[in-house]
Amino acid sequence: MMMMSTPSSTLTPPDVKPMQGVSVEKGFDTNDLVVNIGPQHPSTHGVLRLITTLNGEVVKDMEPVIGYLHRSKEKMAESRSLFQYQPTIDRVEYLSSFYDHLAFVNCVEKIAGLGVPKRVEYIRMITLELNRITSHLLWFGTFLLDLGASTPFFWAFRDREEVFTLFEKLTGARMMYNYYRFGGVNADLPSGWLNEVRKFIDDFPRRLDEYEAVATKNPIVLDRTIGQGILTKETCLQFGVTGPALRAAGYAADLRKTNPYSCYNEVEFEVPVATEADTYARYVVRVQEMRESLKIIRQCIDNIPGGDGGELGLLKAKVDEATKAKKKDPTIEVPAWNSDWDMFGKKINLLTYKPPAGEASVFVESPRGVLGCYMVTDGTPKAARVKWRGASFSNLSCLPALMKGHMYSDLMAIFGSLDVIMPEVDR
Amino acid sequence: MMMMVSEQTQASASLAGKTTTDVIKQSTNSLVVDGLKEITRGLLTVLKQHNTDPITLEYPEVMPELSDRFHGRLSLLSKSDGTDLCIGCQACARVCPCDDLIQIEMHRDADKKPVIDRFTIDLGRCIFCGNCTEVCPVDCIKFLPDFELADYSREALVLDKKDLTLNGEESDQWRKEHGLAVTVA
Repeated sequence: MMMMSTPSSTLTPPDVKPMQGVSVEKGFDTNDLVVNIGPQHPSTHGVLRLITTLNGEVVKDMEPVIGYLHRSKEKMAESRSLFQYQPTIDRVEYLSSFYDHLAFVNCVEKIAGLGVPKRVEYIRMITLELNRITSHLLWFGTFLLDLGASTPFFWAFRDREEVFTLFEKLTGARMMYNYYRFGGVNADLPSGWLNEVRKFIDDFPRRLDEYEAVATKNPIVLDRTIGQGILTKETCLQFGVTGPALRAAGYAADLRKTNPYSCYNEVEFEVPVATEADTYARYVVRVQEMRESLKIIRQCIDNIPGGDGGELGLLKAKVDEATKAKKKDPTIEVPAWNSDWDMFGKKINLLTYKPPAGEASVFVESPRGVLGCYMVTDGTPKAARVKWRGASFSNLSCLPALMKGHMYSDLMAIFGSLDVIMPEVDR
Repeated sequence: MMMMVSEQTQASASLAGKTTTDVIKQSTNSLVVDGLKEITRGLLTVLKQHNTDPITLEYPEVMPELSDRFHGRLSLLSKSDGTDLCIGCQACARVCPCDDLIQIEMHRDADKKPVIDRFTIDLGRCIFCGNCTEVCPVDCIKFLPDFELADYSREALVLDKKDLTLNGEESDQWRKEHGLAVTVA
């Protein structure tokens, strides 16, 4: 059976005849070979060095060397005001930076007790889930590229571009958003933006079907993923592996369900879980998560307080004008305004903002797993300490245990299935 | 495999309810036939794409459409009559995450009106985060939808006040497009 070839079967040296003119008296020399993979390697998705000990083609031992992308993001927080530090968070995990921003602003909101209007929470949820789709799409493309398929890569990037165009209309940037603010968001939705999102999510399931038609049951993909890189629940818990890798091992751990933040308790969605814990299970869980994200976005668009940005903006302008006029002439009636529709809970002056002394930690479910931010403030505009818990670091740390006994050629398929991003590991 | 089978996600029916073992079993019944079937399905899906229009643009003949919030080149708007709008309050310099990127020198004239002597932005180090545009109290420093910023030297990327300032008409046009009060005196 081709599919179930166990790694141990490859341990015996292949039965080949020696080349002509080469005399082999005692058979193959079976010394271990140390191979240095990376730091510049097309499949490491960043700068990762793996010192690999090989026995033939079988990985005997592996030691990841990290730190090539270290930019002292945590120390930078201590020399900048909170608002000054915020744009640099985008660069920690640039494939899903809305999540880092959410953890960061939630920390400040927790410390300062800032309320967040419901409309803002819904805007955040729409952007977060769109961001999860872009992140998983990139993973989908590069993972299959690692397996040798190049077409899905271009398809994934084509659809990712569409979401980035939506993000550009909303935030002005395609990847470095800097959009969330303490107690709100930078600007309201542009006119017609929600309709464009709806158009995208209506069309996207068809494209996901196309992806699945090409990849999901492709015999080459199945052959290279099923039964490979089994990451059991116990190993996950030992190494702190979270996210799709943990859910593919049969543990339905999703902070959006178990510890709902934002307004995730108001939307219905399911947590995709698989029990096989292999590379293929992680693939299936991620593809399914994209479908679940679409469900969440659709509910958010339907239920967002205030609806489309254009009409709400006009109403806001009327309200502001009437409020101003009312100071001179008390008889003027101000149109009704729901506080849920605001863009800020309490508008703060970002130039001079000082949160009170305190500490808070926030954990959110990023596309790669649990992302944590711990912040200590001391009453100055700067944070005394900011600590990030990136999912990629823990997910990478289990790689040596995962790779032992596997073929060298499966390394990139298994490593790719963990969806590690190096800037988040090194920070 | 999937514990969460739902009827809404019709598209996921191909996988829902099946374990990976099922997929293997199905394949091993007749590996070659199933494999060929799947590869054919994949290739047909790829062939379908031939009829679609290309999504790429023939840049630079065709320029992309950028949103009005696009983070491009920074600029200084003027008043409608073309005089300086900037009041030299240093707010943009204070919120900039890159040290000393924005440098402003100003003095006050006989009527205590601010006069900007020097205003430089080093675009070579700018990360286009937009913090400066957000805190400006007079809506003076703003982004332009201009992304072609490459130059031959680092010195050429340090823009001074003359490079940055838009004249009165351009500033009015910008304010009109972005829904701000057009005439600023």
